[in-house]
Amino acid sequence: NLNGTEEKKFKRFESYKRDTQFPSKVKDLIVLVDPKNNSVILPIMGRPVPFHINTLKNATTSTEGGFTYLRINFLSPGQGVGRKDDQAPFEDPTAQFIRSLTFRSHDTNRMEDIKDQVTEMKKAAVRKEQEKKDMED
Amino acid sequence: MRRESFDDIYLDLSKQPGKCRLAESGLGWKPAGGQTFTLDKADMTSAQWSRAARGHELKIYARQAGVVQLDGFRQDDYNTVQKCFKVWYGHELVQKEHALRGWNWGKGEMGRNELTFNVRNQPAFEIPYTEISNTNLAGKNEVAVEFSLPSNEEDTGTNGHLGGARAKGKKMGGAVDQLTEMRFYIPGTEMRKNKKKSGDED
Repeated sequence: NLNGTEEKKFKRFESYKRDTQFPSKVKDLIVLVDPKNNSVILPIMGRPVPFHINTLKNATTSTEGGFTYLRINFLSPGQGVGRKDDQAPFEDPTAQFIRSLTFRSHDTNRMEDIKDQVTEMKKAAVRKEQEKKDMED
Repeated sequence: MRRESFDDIYLDLSKQPGKCRLAESGLGWKPAGGQTFTLDKADMTSAQWSRAARGHELKIYARQAGVVQLDGFRQDDYNTVQKCFKVWYGHELVQKEHALRGWNWGKGEMGRNELTFNVRNQPAFEIPYTEISNTNLAGKNEVAVEFSLPSNEEDTGTNGHLGGARAKGKKMGGAVDQLTEMRFYIPGTEMRKNKKKSGDED
């Protein structure tokens, strides 16, 4: 690639290359965590939509009216997190971001479990990133 | 060829599968023991084929019926379905590949029937307008989109019509995990970014 510098600054990542790589459970229309591919798969209008762990900020849960709400927060500009340099797509300043997605379910245990798995996966990703940085220094 | 039929097809995220039939006059879908949902060919405006949750999805855009989603087709059904649409309904069955990169940035595009979120010119997902109950400006550069959700599991909005499928605006009730809200970050476009002053507050 000609823009060697830009490529280096913005780290490319990809959840899946082909839809055949999806776990078979996507057919259940549920939120899935796939640590093997560093991704969560969210059911949006009948379609499994992957999001890479590098785009995720965190996951939280709350309970109301018999439902457990799972909120997935993504990294996006203007959050004052300061880490956005790692993520922002330099190629396009007009890009829109998905900032959060909230799902509800009656299955409290599974929602809590998903939250924990996301947190775990995020921790592992940050740790890996740090190790890489240390190696480079 | 007078009729083609396909088993284990889900209509609009229905919990139960049904049999989907394509005939010269249009399309029908019937779950076991339920009434038949029908879509006249005159109502169809275009059709698209892509991978979905249960298998492959035939999505039909219709004038009256809105966005009709039929999921659970096998990959090799494409040729048959494509032929039916071409010969009987006069529509090309467009194959659409969805973005699998896992990025959370792209461009929202307002189509006739639905909002499409594109990642690198590939759709990541689509939201039919019928399923949106409310939108509001949740903050600076932040838009919240809320989804229509049935008050309880039995509320399909169809009174047993549509053969067990759900009325528009109640589709999400068929899913186990139901999307309730989606928030977007929309960069300031008009005055503020005129000179492309890199970031906002950093």
